[in-house]
Amino acid sequence: MTKYLIKRILHGLLSIAVVVAIVMIIIYSLMDRNLIFKNDNTYSHLKNNSKEIYKYAKWEEYGYIDFVTYADYLLMLTNNGEIDEETRSSVVGIGRTADKDSENVKKYVEKFTEYYISKGYTVKRLDAVMMNAKKVAEGGQPQLFAYKNLSLLSRLWSYFSKIITIDSIHYAEDVKGERGITFTLFDPLYGGKKFSPAIIGNGTRHKYLLYFDSKFPFIHQNIITINLGTSYSVNQGIDVFETMNRPQGSYVKSLVTYPTGLQEESADDLHTATYVKGSLETSLVFKDRFTDDYTNVSTKKASLSKVGFSFVIGILASLLAYLVGVPLGIAMAKRKDKALDKIGTLYIVFIIAVPSLAYIFLFKAIGGKLGLPTTFDLESSKKVMYVLPIISLALPQIASLMKWIRRYMIDQMNLDYVKFARSGGLSEREIFTKHILKNASIPIVHGIPGTILFALTGAIITERVYVVPGAGNLLTEAIGQYDNGVIVGVTLFYALLTVVSIILGDVLITMVDPRISFTSKDR
Amino acid sequence: MQIQDLSQFGLSDEELFSRVDHNELDSEKIMAPRYSYWNSVFRVFFRKKINIALLTILALIMAFAYIYPLFAEYDKFGNLLDASAKHLSPAAAIKKYGFSIHWILGTGAAGQSTFDAIWFGSRISISLALICGAINLTVGVIMGAIWGFSKKIDIVMMEVYNILANVPYILIVSVLVMILTSSFWTLVLALTITGWLGIAYFIRTQVVIIRNREYNLASKCLGTPLIKIAMRNILPFMTSVIVTLAATEIPSYISMEVFLGYIGMGLSEMSLGRLIYEAQSAMVTPGWEFEFWSPVVIASIITVVLYVVGQNLADASDPRTHM
Repeated sequence: MTKYLIKRILHGLLSIAVVVAIVMIIIYSLMDRNLIFKNDNTYSHLKNNSKEIYKYAKWEEYGYIDFVTYADYLLMLTNNGEIDEETRSSVVGIGRTADKDSENVKKYVEKFTEYYISKGYTVKRLDAVMMNAKKVAEGGQPQLFAYKNLSLLSRLWSYFSKIITIDSIHYAEDVKGERGITFTLFDPLYGGKKFSPAIIGNGTRHKYLLYFDSKFPFIHQNIITINLGTSYSVNQGIDVFETMNRPQGSYVKSLVTYPTGLQEESADDLHTATYVKGSLETSLVFKDRFTDDYTNVSTKKASLSKVGFSFVIGILASLLAYLVGVPLGIAMAKRKDKALDKIGTLYIVFIIAVPSLAYIFLFKAIGGKLGLPTTFDLESSKKVMYVLPIISLALPQIASLMKWIRRYMIDQMNLDYVKFARSGGLSEREIFTKHILKNASIPIVHGIPGTILFALTGAIITERVYVVPGAGNLLTEAIGQYDNGVIVGVTLFYALLTVVSIILGDVLITMVDPRISFTSKDR
Repeated sequence: MQIQDLSQFGLSDEELFSRVDHNELDSEKIMAPRYSYWNSVFRVFFRKKINIALLTILALIMAFAYIYPLFAEYDKFGNLLDASAKHLSPAAAIKKYGFSIHWILGTGAAGQSTFDAIWFGSRISISLALICGAINLTVGVIMGAIWGFSKKIDIVMMEVYNILANVPYILIVSVLVMILTSSFWTLVLALTITGWLGIAYFIRTQVVIIRNREYNLASKCLGTPLIKIAMRNILPFMTSVIVTLAATEIPSYISMEVFLGYIGMGLSEMSLGRLIYEAQSAMVTPGWEFEFWSPVVIASIITVVLYVVGQNLADASDPRTHM
């Protein structure tokens, strides 16, 4: 069984890679790249060559191309020690046209061109745009740069190699003190007296690699971080995984003691400190509070994350659906062609045929008339605002559970073993609960892991209609804003959930039904 | 022995013995009754009175969607400049313009007739559903049959299915809408490009179930060509399955169009989904609800009628009900 599972998991991972590849082809090759500038104000205000440069720089940010300017190249040479600062500043300014370059500049321009053409880049030179014989037009400075379209394979490789990062003590470029990991039983953030084990790194990206706090699940780690892709427009510069999982809402302030000993009412969560090179020197605010470059902290917020909201609503809706749908489906099968069965069928037809939008709005209107809150409020802690989204989400699930339970039960009822049990003198109740229900529930059990996992993804219409700050609209939002990183990240997340839920479902039915086996030996 | 009350076992009448009277005349007849499949289908279908009523409603909807627009003049921005013509309730609109069929549902945000807008929109939505349904069902059934028959193709197609089923549907639709324009035929392409896969997979499962039945093995042993097995042995079995599929698929395209319209990725033309999308804000404004609820209700009526008619036709197309 273990061998079989490993095979399935590997196969699933391969499928996920192909899905990600297809999505990458769709968004990077098929979509028009200029669309990302549709709502970009900076772009529409720029003129001439600087507009062109901005365009290429943005394309690099969005992951379309690899883009290097002449100035970047010279900077790279300086950092490598090939040329000194003086030469760099003397050759960095290029002429208005290629003929007007000085001898020295010409040499370096040639070197640049040669170097990047040999690496498969396209080198492009934009001549200065002149207003008159002497004056350069706004944004018309001459430009020299090289760019290359990223190939699918290199894109895939760089994406998948970055998904899981393990923090190492060689991450930070220059650190105060010795690189290493220290283990302490008394977390300094709690004053160093309270017993609370923590692992603190120096030279790592995160300062606190392992710590305890009062929030579920109480023990937290920063050793392994998951990166699904950086967002550009939905949530600038933040990883998709983080966008989905970080708390939302208003700040929660508490008395925080900073490493320098300064005490302040703040929402900063010092456990999340990450390394930012040279940041301590840049700001007085940091100097007052921190003693090293681990200054980038996230804040404590009052409400759940996007996935948190979606999951709470989704899981409660599913629970409600199983509690209502399964007994109703059984009752319908028991009283086939009676009044209850007919009403139930009517309901199923209603849910299947009517556009989901229509009945969600219908329930919103009914709920509003009954005085239930119809919009979600991030700041409110009232539980009653969850009622309508949960009911709206549960309605279609109830219908489909009723439909399938009824179908499976009726199919089982006509089988010979039921007739045999009946002839053996078992009561109808015994036959139903001990035989038919057990057999009919196997396909239903197969769907349970999927129901639980897909509660994480949220629901598009329900969340829109009730203004729930959930994860359901992340994909549509990303598509609307051409945020390629988020599109790929969310797709990967969905694909992973599908693969995992099918495998878990298969494992679950082998546990429920001993007749089912996936290994060829047992068959 | 005591006669028990048979109803306590919960058995249907067919399972109990019943008395059959001997008829001298019947035993003289030896010819089987004439049987025509489609005649029987329609005989069973029209035996239920509700089907006649539903077909009447369907015909009425079709007439309004396809014939009414030929005669009605509809200009969305015809009343744009008249501020007093916007967001009128039916009563106010009739009072303003006098009684006419155009104003029985009031007016919309641009002063246009909601009633006309709905039927122009329905024409687009229904056409979309029928065209997508026809393409997806044809391709899906043919591909599904091939997929089910050939074990080699099955291995390949299962992989294709597992992968393509994981590419978010909205992504495909929106990318196609972005590359091309958000026109009618783009949406047809977007809904059919992967839409047939689900149908093909369903048909494949059905074919696999009956492929290895004994009578098919017998046909094979007797040297019947594969095409003939498919046409004579398997296809008749599938008729009711295909009709059931059509009954769920065709209304689902209308729902899908409404959904895409609502999230702003639908058609640029005046479809039902687009109407609902544009009237969203009217839903929460007291007095304006009519322009939101009318397209929603009409879309629901169309989908429900199509679904129920299709399901009943599927029931009737199952030869086991032809007794």
